[in-house]
Amino acid sequence: MLVDLLFTCFAVFSVLGALGLIIFRHPMNGAMSFLVTLVSLAGLYALLSAKLLFALQLIVYAGAIMSLVVFVIMFLNIQPDQLPAEKTKITYLVAGGVAVTPVAFFLLKVVNRLPNMPVSFADEGFGGVKEVGLIFFREWLVPFEIVSILLLTALVGAVVLAGKREKNK
Amino acid sequence: MEHSTFYLGMIPLYPLLGAVCIGLFHVLTCKRWQVPPLVYGLLACVGPAMSFFLALRVFFELRALPLDARFFTYKAFTWFSVGDLHLDMGFLADPLSGLMLLFVTFIGTLIHVYSIGYMSGDKSYAKFFAYMNLFLGSMLILVLGDSPVVMFVGWEGVGLCSYLLISYYSEDRDNVLAGNKAFIVNRIGDLGFVLGMGFLFWAIGSHGFDFLSLKANAHMMTESSILIVCLLLFVGATGKSAQIPLYVWLPDAMAGPTPVSALIHAATMVTAGVYMVARFSFLYVEVAAAGMIVAWIGILTALVAAIFGMFQDDIKKVLAYSTVSQLGYMFAGVGVTAYSAGIFHVFTHAFFKALLFLGAGAVIYVLHHEQNIWKMGGLKKKMPITYWTMLIGALALAGCPPFAGFFSKDEILYSALANGHFFIWLIGVLVAAMTAYYTFRMIFVVFHGQPRDQQAYDHAHEAPLVMTVPLIILAIGALFAGFYNLPAMFGGEQMISHWLAPSVADQHPHGSFLLEFFVIATSVAAFAFGLWVAYKRFGKGAEEPVFTGFARFAYHKFYVDELYDAVFVRPYKAIGAEISEGVEPNMTDAPVTGVVRLYMRVGTLVKVLQSGYVRVYAIYMVLGLGIMSFILSQSLN
Amino acid sequence: MIHDYLVLSVILFCLGVVGVFARRNFFTVFMSVELMLNASNLAFIAFARLQQNMDGHVLALLIMAVAAAEAALALAVVILLHKQTGKLDTNVFSLLKG
Repeated sequence: MLVDLLFTCFAVFSVLGALGLIIFRHPMNGAMSFLVTLVSLAGLYALLSAKLLFALQLIVYAGAIMSLVVFVIMFLNIQPDQLPAEKTKITYLVAGGVAVTPVAFFLLKVVNRLPNMPVSFADEGFGGVKEVGLIFFREWLVPFEIVSILLLTALVGAVVLAGKREKNK
Repeated sequence: MEHSTFYLGMIPLYPLLGAVCIGLFHVLTCKRWQVPPLVYGLLACVGPAMSFFLALRVFFELRALPLDARFFTYKAFTWFSVGDLHLDMGFLADPLSGLMLLFVTFIGTLIHVYSIGYMSGDKSYAKFFAYMNLFLGSMLILVLGDSPVVMFVGWEGVGLCSYLLISYYSEDRDNVLAGNKAFIVNRIGDLGFVLGMGFLFWAIGSHGFDFLSLKANAHMMTESSILIVCLLLFVGATGKSAQIPLYVWLPDAMAGPTPVSALIHAATMVTAGVYMVARFSFLYVEVAAAGMIVAWIGILTALVAAIFGMFQDDIKKVLAYSTVSQLGYMFAGVGVTAYSAGIFHVFTHAFFKALLFLGAGAVIYVLHHEQNIWKMGGLKKKMPITYWTMLIGALALAGCPPFAGFFSKDEILYSALANGHFFIWLIGVLVAAMTAYYTFRMIFVVFHGQPRDQQAYDHAHEAPLVMTVPLIILAIGALFAGFYNLPAMFGGEQMISHWLAPSVADQHPHGSFLLEFFVIATSVAAFAFGLWVAYKRFGKGAEEPVFTGFARFAYHKFYVDELYDAVFVRPYKAIGAEISEGVEPNMTDAPVTGVVRLYMRVGTLVKVLQSGYVRVYAIYMVLGLGIMSFILSQSLN
Repeated sequence: MIHDYLVLSVILFCLGVVGVFARRNFFTVFMSVELMLNASNLAFIAFARLQQNMDGHVLALLIMAVAAAEAALALAVVILLHKQTGKLDTNVFSLLKG
């Protein structure tokens, strides 16, 4: 009972946050809505017995990535008149909804074919730190290392892109 | 033949190689160092001379063969083999082509030697000799061809060389126009030839398209198809051999150098039509109407050309019309199925007409390219060798016994009368009289009497040795060539008629001795009459006449050229201009440019899709995804 | 019911797609992309729960790492673009216009 209520809450909040993201004009408002979505999603992960990911979503996504985005938005000091004047926003949104309908339709059809099971909390050996860690360092070791290299590349790239330029460039 | 007949293929090859060598040598050296002209001249004479020796060998080998198998062939390579049509580049040596080979190569060599002297001092010496060798090679292909198509290769080749050589002095536009005229009129004839060949192929070509097979299969054709083929082929002959209505190019062709006129437009190329009719004698003899048309056109051409020749004032034009007239005689001969008589006249005519042209060339050369006979006179004392050789040539042309022309012309007239063609014979006698008249008019005006242009006369001298020796050799030929076909009543054996018998379908008339005597008597009388009239008017020196009435009409060649110009040339040019200005931009250019513009417009329309905004491209992606999901969801049902 | 989670994932994904091409503001576009990534994360985890297999969790974690790297670079680029042109409109950059 409680689980269903929680699920409904989290779902509604995430959808509302997404809608806010795509409707608000100022990106700050959109970022805040997106934050709501991220936190709701973290809750949904918890309901699905993904304990580590629940924590990581909150720490990494909502905590690090979104704070970086908000930081940059504030750094650029965007004034309302600097924002693009999107007169056709509503039109595009509605048309976009129409355009995306076949995709959604198809995906929903696919989903309907899958077996529908009730979701209950799993036991101890599922979704915890120890279990995820073991899998990471056993079957998924190589992708793990490659992703770390990817992060290094991103780091270097970001420094190069946004760093100070020489005077004679 | 058991042994190799490879040398048969070498006969046309030597002059062709000579042409290529001279041409390449000239092109490679003309910018670097001055090659003495004599080198080109001697190089050019090597090919024809070697062909002449090979022609002699062909002749002796043919003589060694039995009468019923007197031919041999040589196949150089397979030209193409498509469906029913299988053609080889093959050469056929039989009595007819053997005879033609002999005098073509002999006179060709002599004229090449003569040209060394005549063309000295000219700046495009090498070009001239290259073209002459090329011409001789093509003529030999024509004569030796073993199928109508190979003959046509040579036919076209000689037409091309005729054009190249007529336009040789190309700085003067009129010469180039004359060359154009020759080529275009020839082309019209060639159309007839090609149609005739095509028709022949359609009728009996599937059993083999060389002369030997055609001869064997000719009986399979219907009479009307034989008639059509014969007439179409004869159209080609009227073009090449300058008969009515396509003779208009030959007088203009005198714009070329005189050796060209001698070789091409007297001795060899123009006789190709007669040779062709003789080759196809197995067809012409089947249908009497074909031969009759050929004979009548021939004799009428002879008449008209003789009338023109009587009034010309250019020494080469007189000889040109004389050539047309004598060609008419030859066609009259082959038309009345006396093929060997016609070929015999070709043989003798080659000697004396070449002689006359070369002599005229000597006169022109000595007088520094003066060609108007009314500016000459009294050259008898200054140029004796030229005078005596030209006199021999003139007597041969006019038909004076015992010179060559008398026997050949007499043979034709006798065959005409003996086969029952009275009017052809009558016109022939009339033309003989006119021939004597205009020939001796020319001789008397040029060589006798008082010089009309004293200054030119003082500078005149005999032509150099390299020019007079060929004249003498040809004069000997003109004197004695007739004896090869001496009729029985003079104790001869008719050697040429018997020699040609395996090749041509002669119908030997059986006339009485009295008939023959009658014909000879009338021919001699006609000659004497013409000579007498010419002597009376021009023998003691005469003034340039002023022409009125009919004479003026004839002097202007009955205005035939102007008529052709108005009826054919100008409308054709107008149509061409109309098409190029009106039809072509709209009909052929418009669709092409229309397609181009269509592409450009479609491109401009499609360009709208390339907006450059990433967002729009993302929209395209989503649209594509939507379509794909739609299709996939259908399949999921 | 597991279907509910999957349907929610589909809805969030489509909202992200709409956001990418319906808005001209660079940040909104960028965050819509992150929204799409999150939606797929949810799907992975839902399937992992369905199949009782931890691979879904691992993949979700890797996606998060990639998203982080991408965020860093995208924000560096937007700072550069803002320095160059002073605008945040994606329609301004149309050098590929044909």
